[in-house]
Amino acid sequence: MRACHLRLTLTAAFAAALAVAGCAVPGAPGASLGASLGATQSAALDDSFNDPLEETNRAIFAFNQAVDQAVLIPVAKTYRTVLPPPVRQSVHDFLQNLNGPVIFGNDLLQGRFGLAADTLGRLAINTTLGIGGMFDVATPIGIPHHSNDLGVTLATWGFAEGPYVVVPVLGSSNPRDLIGKIGDSFADPGDYVAAQHNLLWASLARAAVSGIDVRSRNIENLADIEKTALDYYATIRSLYRQRRATQIRHERSTLPNPTPVQGSDGGPLPGISYRFANTPQLREVSAK
Amino acid sequence: MMRRSVLLATLALSLGLICLAAPRQALAQDARAFVGALGAQAIQVLGPSVPPAQRVARFRALFRDDFDVPNIGRFVLGRYWRVATPQEQEEFLTLFQEYIVRAYSARLGEYGGEPFRVTGARPTGEETVVTSEIVRPGGSPIQVDWYLDNRAGRYKITDVYVAGVSMKVTQRDEFAAVIQRNGGRIEGLLALLRQKLAAS
Repeated sequence: MRACHLRLTLTAAFAAALAVAGCAVPGAPGASLGASLGATQSAALDDSFNDPLEETNRAIFAFNQAVDQAVLIPVAKTYRTVLPPPVRQSVHDFLQNLNGPVIFGNDLLQGRFGLAADTLGRLAINTTLGIGGMFDVATPIGIPHHSNDLGVTLATWGFAEGPYVVVPVLGSSNPRDLIGKIGDSFADPGDYVAAQHNLLWASLARAAVSGIDVRSRNIENLADIEKTALDYYATIRSLYRQRRATQIRHERSTLPNPTPVQGSDGGPLPGISYRFANTPQLREVSAK
Repeated sequence: MMRRSVLLATLALSLGLICLAAPRQALAQDARAFVGALGAQAIQVLGPSVPPAQRVARFRALFRDDFDVPNIGRFVLGRYWRVATPQEQEEFLTLFQEYIVRAYSARLGEYGGEPFRVTGARPTGEETVVTSEIVRPGGSPIQVDWYLDNRAGRYKITDVYVAGVSMKVTQRDEFAAVIQRNGGRIEGLLALLRQKLAAS
């Protein structure tokens, strides 16, 4: 009961934040801002990257990086040192399997019944033969994982993304993806069962382990990008927006998503949505 | 008589189509071969046994030979290219080239020479896209798409998409952000590039 209450409070807080964000950006991004700004800024608005809240976003981004350095990277490194690769792979597969129902739901909502069948097949096979999802036995037999989430569904239904936002701890997002995240968590059977039994800690633990799993797979990639970037914030923003656009474009056309992402999107950190670790659906590519 | 001329016309047309189609097909084949060769070369250039200094030098040669550097440079400066003075343009191209070489030889540092496989090719507009993947042991493959231009009579890479993300667009977005935050001055970007290159 308390867990339910907390989720509602969180949702209300998000909704309020979104309303504020929405007010700041009527219609065309930066249209009202442009009128009140000087010549240099209005020139800059031509490539404003859909980021009217940039100064706030940069501040939150800096905060997230501090949290990353102080907590997430050390924890992710320890996780990698302590657990051998097969165990970590099992954790990853297990978490991915838990996401199955939400992916299935979104496949259906987008009318992609072939993909929905794949997801259902993967769930059935991995939950049984894969011993509760600890082993991904579906991929080797030709049903690779693909990602899907409500953010993508909303986009295919024609909802606008809203301005780019950086969320504390969670990282890159936008109102559409945030609403998607909340919707997905409500639809998630695991989270639902946990809420029913007053087991908020179980949902939190799952989120935390997902975060560590993702972060532990990206330590070097992100460090290399950060080290060489002229403007790390701008790079991450570009990567996030392109990545989401690609996912949505592939959902809209009937092309397979070339590089599905594990989990729904985002991840617990700025830039985690940018993953090299992806599974192209070669089967569909070659069939095309 | 009538029927025969229709037949002839159809024949001529289809022959024409075949002739048109053939070089296109051949082009796609060539493009695949080009990327395949590049991949084999990249494994040698970037493999784990190559010392960092040599890695940068080899990557520099590869970038200069096989990438359409002037056009990529113009693209990544975006609309600022037109407002830049000729001196700024020239300096930018030099700095940009060296920056990309340093940044990407570092970013590809994790690449351990895993097998690289060309999966397909298709024309898009003036260019040819060759799709490929890097197969990693124990991990999922990474999809890499190569955009190739053949106007100069040989292939030059104009863009690379990694996991659906354009490296050219990412670079343009970053450079534009730097210029914006320096009050729209290109000199701000040039100064930062100089500084970054001096530091590395």
